[in-house]
Amino acid sequence: MAEHAQVRAPHVQHHFASSDQQFDSAKMGMWVFLLTEIAFFGGLFVAYIIYRAWHPDLFTLAATQLSTPLGATNTLVLIASSLTVAMAIRAIQTDKKRQSIILLLSTVGLAMVFMIIKAFEYADKFAKGIAPGAYYTYEGIAHESASVFFSIYYMMTGLHALHVVIGIGILLWIAWKVHRNHFSSEYYTPVEISGLYWHLVDIIWIFLFPLLYLIE
Amino acid sequence: MSSHSHHIIPFPALVATGLALTVLTILTVAVYYIQLPDPINIIVALSIAIVKATLVGAIFMGLYWDNKFNTLILLMAFLFFFVFVGITMLDTMFRDPSMIIY
Repeated sequence: MAEHAQVRAPHVQHHFASSDQQFDSAKMGMWVFLLTEIAFFGGLFVAYIIYRAWHPDLFTLAATQLSTPLGATNTLVLIASSLTVAMAIRAIQTDKKRQSIILLLSTVGLAMVFMIIKAFEYADKFAKGIAPGAYYTYEGIAHESASVFFSIYYMMTGLHALHVVIGIGILLWIAWKVHRNHFSSEYYTPVEISGLYWHLVDIIWIFLFPLLYLIE
Repeated sequence: MSSHSHHIIPFPALVATGLALTVLTILTVAVYYIQLPDPINIIVALSIAIVKATLVGAIFMGLYWDNKFNTLILLMAFLFFFVFVGITMLDTMFRDPSMIIY
């Protein structure tokens, strides 16, 4: 046990041999969590694929109700937010705490822009009677299964939006902890794995955008 | 591999990836307005999405420099998804035509 006599950094918990081992374990744990997230969204993507295979004409008709400019804007907003969170991790790795906080708060700001645009889209549809499931009353789409497309749309974008809201909470908490000097170039694991979560939310949207908005 | 796990992603790589993702988003919207014939448009849109997701995974999420086991976990997630799609479609694509679908 002589090799353990060296001074351990305060963030290293007793069941890890070293800071590096703790970091690698935390990161792998996050990747396993992201696997379960892909499985979670995967169920909805399967529903999408099956219904599109059954009703290709419905998807072409119903997608005309979605605004491509708003969807494209939101795609660019999320890409920008992925860039700012990646830069925030880089900043904390190089001990630039103030810069890291500014970048984390920029990410939160972009996430809020995404949610505001999404809220306008939802409000526009609800005003027309395009509501999920049994509440669907819109008559502008000549297809008997018209409500099915929008049930899938609301489930996929709704679950994604829930992840964005949770992400806003996590990133604010991380920014607060950076402000309180919890992290430095020696220990920044929570900043990095929160970034991984945020990038996954971006990846999900990268697939949702062409699948929902770009159907002709 | 522990020495690789603390890689700091070069600043130019981050900016270049952000720009590439922006250009690809504009490209996928442009292709949509061109209105390619039916199977090709979906293939092009999904190919662009896969390239974008790969860029985010490799650069922003650092998989390019990371322990390859994390990439394996991600690939296993997609493998599971394709099994899920495949087995479900073996049912839904070969049903009795008299069966009511919704």
